[in-house]
Amino acid sequence: MAQSPPRRRLSLLALLSLLSGCVASALQNVSDSIADAILDQNDVAIVREGLPAYLLMIDGLIEENPDDTGLLISGAKLYAFFGTELVNDNTRAGKLTEKARGFAQRALCLQQSELCGLDTLSYDRFNPALQRIGHDALNELYTYGLTWAAWLQAHSRDWNAIADRPKIEAVFERVLELDERFDGGRAHYYLGLLRSQLSPALGGKPDVGKNHFERAIELSHGQDLVVKVALARYYARMIYDRDLHDRLLHEVLQANPNVSGLTLSNTMAQQEAGHLLDESSSYFEE
Amino acid sequence: MYRSKAAMIFLCLAFFSQHTLAVMLKIATASPDGTVWMEKMRQAADEIKQRTSGRVTFRFYPGGIMGNDASVMRKINVNQLQGGIIPGGGLKNIYPDSQIYSLPLIFRSYDEVDYVRSRMDEQIIKGLEQNGFISFGLSEGGFAYLMADKPVARVDDLKSQKIWVPEGDYISRSAFQTVGVSPISLPLTDVLTALQTGLINTVAASPMGAIALQWHTRIKYITDEPLAYLYGTMIVRTKAFAGLAPDDQKIVREVIGSVYKELNSINRRDNTEALKVLRDQGIQFVATDKHNQNSWRAMLEATEAKMGQEGILSQSIIDTLKKHLRDYRQNHDSSR
Repeated sequence: MAQSPPRRRLSLLALLSLLSGCVASALQNVSDSIADAILDQNDVAIVREGLPAYLLMIDGLIEENPDDTGLLISGAKLYAFFGTELVNDNTRAGKLTEKARGFAQRALCLQQSELCGLDTLSYDRFNPALQRIGHDALNELYTYGLTWAAWLQAHSRDWNAIADRPKIEAVFERVLELDERFDGGRAHYYLGLLRSQLSPALGGKPDVGKNHFERAIELSHGQDLVVKVALARYYARMIYDRDLHDRLLHEVLQANPNVSGLTLSNTMAQQEAGHLLDESSSYFEE
Repeated sequence: MYRSKAAMIFLCLAFFSQHTLAVMLKIATASPDGTVWMEKMRQAADEIKQRTSGRVTFRFYPGGIMGNDASVMRKINVNQLQGGIIPGGGLKNIYPDSQIYSLPLIFRSYDEVDYVRSRMDEQIIKGLEQNGFISFGLSEGGFAYLMADKPVARVDDLKSQKIWVPEGDYISRSAFQTVGVSPISLPLTDVLTALQTGLINTVAASPMGAIALQWHTRIKYITDEPLAYLYGTMIVRTKAFAGLAPDDQKIVREVIGSVYKELNSINRRDNTEALKVLRDQGIQFVATDKHNQNSWRAMLEATEAKMGQEGILSQSIIDTLKKHLRDYRQNHDSSR
């Protein structure tokens, strides 16, 4: 017996919905596989040239699945990475990290609706709002902080951006409270970066940044080489400790960069370590 | 034979004179690496190196690695450093009158600052030079505003506040003492912690400074009246500068002088933006009580008198500044 048109439409809609869910899930898997392949790549040039195509693809997927927090988080992280690490033009970096931040805000908002517009809260209200975030929104919160930090880097001359730096620190503090080991302890790395911006002469406390970097090194078992490079660049240089600076960078250059999930960033860290070592004599010369 | 010996001596002289003329100037600053200040100074150093064919080079020690202003001055005096980028108050031991723009409440607007500085900067630069230091121009740090956890509209409001003054800033300390307030003197390095722990609850800072040093997270009110004018300069010991060939001196003066003019404009723009950001962050701006203007004015007058009497500033430089301000205000009708 032929189905009546309304029922057929209903089934079709249900099927489409089901298919769409399957497709989204499949694409999420594809998306995750590509993201893994990017992170495990040891040729930076391939990533620099290939990543834009993937970003376009992820844009399309998010367009089709605007409420998929997994896709939003993948997009946020990759746009932030591309904008801060692979683009030299500051205007482009600003746009790319703006997009990254937008995706991360949407993901956090979808995960916990009372957190929509979190960044617009005054500093006094911002911290208590963070306390309402639980483990179930940890990845969204971490990505939110990471993309905000990337955005700040691209807007380092914007006083509005600089004024919000304490809020970004508060986000990572909350991540540490929820799970210090999340993403191999990278929250410590970001806090180290944020807390190494002021020199001691201006009230900065280099040891606070150093402690974060050292804890991140400990939590990653020394395998996350960008942290050692940051310790050399932002701490050893600030306190003018050439022995520490050169020792850390030599350790980075001698390490095996091929670590699952860290190969690309380790490869880039080794390149950076080489540049910093080349400048070492001129930087520390008395 | 004689001719070839003479040629050899000439060549040797030429060789050695080229090398003995090469001078490296080591300069300390509290500005961190990566800031627009350091970026501009490094660009200037590159230009000078290129235009003097490498005879004049600079090495910068950013981020306060050479210590505070007093420590930098000591290192300059023993020739460990040849110069530094020093704020107005840090120059008091070289030429006390260089602090003249630091008098509290002396300026009411940037227009007044520009008018006075265009007439007095040269005098300050000359005064520093006569006392052993070359300056390449003054650069603005902006107006410092009173920033507090409670509204400060009247002079009496200050009395219940725990007010910070920079360590060694005799003029600011004296200004508060004239109205019966004992401020708390701390080094810059301790201010954020002191705000966090409640040791102090009021600071005077430029908008840029308040944001960059994160003091803005601890304040709720800004008194909407410039309290003091902040400025600084790059100084180089005259003895070290004299080691440069006259043409090279001219190039250094021209390039660094031009950078200082540019930094002056950049800071003016940045402070204007930063002030707006503080407003956007929800900080309340408080006008000074119009019925209390005499008390605020009395604070300025008492400080001026004290500085003159104690010889911290010469009476002649105070009079010169006041004359310029009178002239400006008569022509621009900005008197209160």
